[in-house]
Amino acid sequence: MSGFKRDKKEEEDGGGNPFQNIEKTIVLQEARIFNETSVNPRKCTPILTKLLYMLNQGEQLSAKEATDVFFAMTKLFQSKDVILRRLVYLGIKELSSIADDVIIVTSSLTKDMTGKEDLYRAAAIRALCSITDATMLQAIERYMKQAIVDRNPAVSSAALVSSLHMTKIAPEVVKRWVNEAQEAVNSDNIMVQFHALGLLYHIRKSDRLAVTKLVARLTRTMSSKSPYAVCMLIRIAAKLIEEEGADSNSPYFDYIEACFRHKSEMVVYEAAYAVVNLNRTTNRELAQAISVLQLFCGSPKPTLRFAAVRTLNQVAISHPAAVTACNLDLENLITDSNRSIATLAITTLLKTGAESSVDRLMKQIATFVSEISDEFKVVVVQAIRALALKFPRKHSVLMNFLSAMLRDEGGLEYKASIADTIITIIEDNPEAKETGLAHLCEFIEDCEHVSLAVRILHLLGKEGPKTKQPSRYIRFIYNRVILECPSIRAAAVSAMAQFGASCPDLLENIQVLLARCQMDSDDEVRDRATYYSSILNRQDKSLYNNYILETLQVSVPALERTLKEYTNSNTEQPFDIKTIPVSVVSKPDDHEVKQKTEGMLISSGPAKITPSREENFATKLNSLPGIQILGPLFRSSEIVELTESETEYVVRCVKHCYTHHMVLQFDCLNTLNDQLLENVRVQLDTSEGYEIISDIPCPKLPYNETGTAYVIVKFPDGDLPNSIATFGAVLKFVVKDCDPATGLPDIDEGYDDEYMLEDLEITLGDQIQKVSRANWGSAWEEAESTFYEMEDTYSLSSMNTLEEAVINIIKFLGLQPAERSDKVPKGKTTHTLLLAGIFRGGIDILVRAKLALADGVTMQLTVRSTDESIAELITSVVG
Amino acid sequence: MGLFQKLVSFLGVGRKEVNVLVVGLNNSGKSTVVNNFKSDDDKVTDIVPTVGFSVERFQKQNLAFTAFDMSGHGRYRDLWEHYYKDCHGIIFVIDSSDRLRLVVVKEELDLLLQHPDICQKKIPILFFANKMDCKEALSSVKIAAALGLDKIMDKPWHISASNALTGEGLQEGVEWLTQQIRELLSVKN
Repeated sequence: MSGFKRDKKEEEDGGGNPFQNIEKTIVLQEARIFNETSVNPRKCTPILTKLLYMLNQGEQLSAKEATDVFFAMTKLFQSKDVILRRLVYLGIKELSSIADDVIIVTSSLTKDMTGKEDLYRAAAIRALCSITDATMLQAIERYMKQAIVDRNPAVSSAALVSSLHMTKIAPEVVKRWVNEAQEAVNSDNIMVQFHALGLLYHIRKSDRLAVTKLVARLTRTMSSKSPYAVCMLIRIAAKLIEEEGADSNSPYFDYIEACFRHKSEMVVYEAAYAVVNLNRTTNRELAQAISVLQLFCGSPKPTLRFAAVRTLNQVAISHPAAVTACNLDLENLITDSNRSIATLAITTLLKTGAESSVDRLMKQIATFVSEISDEFKVVVVQAIRALALKFPRKHSVLMNFLSAMLRDEGGLEYKASIADTIITIIEDNPEAKETGLAHLCEFIEDCEHVSLAVRILHLLGKEGPKTKQPSRYIRFIYNRVILECPSIRAAAVSAMAQFGASCPDLLENIQVLLARCQMDSDDEVRDRATYYSSILNRQDKSLYNNYILETLQVSVPALERTLKEYTNSNTEQPFDIKTIPVSVVSKPDDHEVKQKTEGMLISSGPAKITPSREENFATKLNSLPGIQILGPLFRSSEIVELTESETEYVVRCVKHCYTHHMVLQFDCLNTLNDQLLENVRVQLDTSEGYEIISDIPCPKLPYNETGTAYVIVKFPDGDLPNSIATFGAVLKFVVKDCDPATGLPDIDEGYDDEYMLEDLEITLGDQIQKVSRANWGSAWEEAESTFYEMEDTYSLSSMNTLEEAVINIIKFLGLQPAERSDKVPKGKTTHTLLLAGIFRGGIDILVRAKLALADGVTMQLTVRSTDESIAELITSVVG
Repeated sequence: MGLFQKLVSFLGVGRKEVNVLVVGLNNSGKSTVVNNFKSDDDKVTDIVPTVGFSVERFQKQNLAFTAFDMSGHGRYRDLWEHYYKDCHGIIFVIDSSDRLRLVVVKEELDLLLQHPDICQKKIPILFFANKMDCKEALSSVKIAAALGLDKIMDKPWHISASNALTGEGLQEGVEWLTQQIRELLSVKN
């Protein structure tokens, strides 16, 4: 007690944070007191607190320091002081990942966890699980099982949550605790029930049938005491409905509907939220859910109002009609004292409202936009974006508002979202282009975010030359060259060069400006200026296209690696950029979907940057003998299944294309636990012209493991039409029967066997790499004189819509659509699809497909390529 | 306990806190030995292999013992040294029926005696030749010879045959240890 008093006095004297000036070395020095024979809790407690404070402030300890202080801390187990002991648990958790030999405290913690002192038990479980690894978990399994079903709710909850964390390191062991978790689900305690359900679901989530059973049983029987558990159950049920595509008659739906009448507001909200977010809801349920949310809009509790209006805001786009029903309530919320609620209400109204109300609502927002936080400003901006797409005619009002917002203070994310919105409006609405660009020009005059300024300059370079009066942008761009930091100056130089390349009448002026830039103090700026001015001097269209208007198409990590190798190798040969694989056009959308479905229980953390798929394959393939002579990897195809997924042996194929060769990678999986396969290889029945160069078998394939066999084939020489072929494939191997338990073969001698695979097709798309052309039109024009052209007309009778035809053509040819021509505007009967790609060996291909809809789709296909035979090949293959 | 002693212990005057380290190979009976010293209320019925260490407390003749019962498992033996500092005595438990691993015991003992934290100090070492009830158990004399205990000159040591299950032989040993530590403390003071 006296200690407390003293501390308090000190605090008053010093004022502010008593731990402000602590230093790592001093704390570690003080921690030696833990080693003293008789522990003095009064002295040790503040020191341990300091240590924890320091660790939580982000101070890093080395492994040695951490281990020393950890072992000193273990001595504190001899003290019986409750506060000190609980601080020790916290310390163990903090240091468990840094210090060595942390398992030393296992027995001490198990003693506390099973002991009589309830204050110790829950914390001890959490500490114990943080130091335990997969091998040690078996030793404490018995205690964990007991703890899960313990009568004390704190202990039971701690054990359940810890188990949930343990599933990351030892899922198999935790799976065995299902029975205990089942029992805990029936607990009377709110939290225990919730945590137990969480664990149960997590254990079973990969097994659909088990989840279905779990939900069916719980929805019927669970004494739904815990609102948290019910909320979670609703989420699981909603997920099941999505996955199974269940209709409104399913029992899950009944359950969610029943939850509308639950006495806890949290549950009612969760049910409504689930229903409005389902992909397929009928109007009846939707109306019910919306009316619940409407009710919440008038609630005296701000949390409920916020939750309801936020949900309405999110679904305003997908169910506008339903949300319109709440408009009256939303109008009332505009004047809510809570600014977050007001913002969301207005933006929802903007999304659902009629064109006439836009002006009024925009005025309303303008009154308080300066008072809300950046996060909500972003919401406003997004609403405006949706609005601009919906009512293109209102763009001037919205654009003015956005530019006013741009001038306000704000963080990068906020500014970036405004710039994004303006860019979207420009792209979508040609009328708005000039004003939008003007606003952006004004913005970069006074922009503190380098990355944003660079992006806008790039956009100006791309869009500016196409406007009526390109010259007016040049002043803005050149101002940047005079005033800004090197990276912006460099971007401005590039943008100016774009003008020079696209507008012949401005060329002279641009040359003068570039000449001035060559005197710049920064290397990069000077280099760019010199580079561009010398290209512009040549007055050569094709040079413009290749080196100014188009961007670099090779994959940057590969370029970096190859250049590094080149500088180290000390050869006389010049560096050849053709050897670098062309970068793959990435698909950004599948990433987002993933984040949505996960995260129900454990947050997935920030996404890791993974090397591209091609890079991975390239490193793997390079280890094969005799592969170096084939040159660089050109393209890897998608995975092709050569068997059904549920058969004895599962074989998947990836086709790796090289300039003159094809490497076929067969990933084989043995699903028979009583067989050991040896010398596994794929025998191909190649078609005419193809030549098998080598055959690399997989030496051994035990049960449930994936092995890889390779076959290298050579494309037919000078006979392109025959490169599109179908191979018969047979899996050949030596079988040895073995004991399922040990995996060891019973006998030494095996017998030969084979397994028929589906035919393997080598298509045109396998030999073509997609390339995204930023400036397809000028490339096409330039190609008119230099490339070979082939043209043909086809009737695609099996296609019924233009969208379908576009998707199929892209898939078949393996080319990348350019200038967003893969999106077919609604209600049109003709469409032009623009495609670009590179054939193996670095041969450019440009394709224009004019489509017309009339009793099936008619297509006029024009192919331009640097190689005549390839143009011919493409036109012949389509037919 | 006499009235005076009771009074002294009540006032906490003569009471001294001491730390002892309990070491030995796995399955030699360390935790069982320590369990036997504890008061009847604190005793546990089933003993499981210790992982790491556990702290136990017991009273003997006015000395408050804090025993660090170390794990004897091969994987954790090199962690003993973290606790060598600040210990007043060592209890070394040997499974006298395990002839095969007697060489391992010797090796571990030599390592312990050579450790810088131990070799400088004159701390008493108590050996328990445990499991004396087993048929093939070696006598304490034979074990002393096998471990070369007679070569330990600079530290007081004592070996007593014991049976930790019944508690036989334990009292004699721990009384010796208490006596030694008491002397050591009085010399220091």
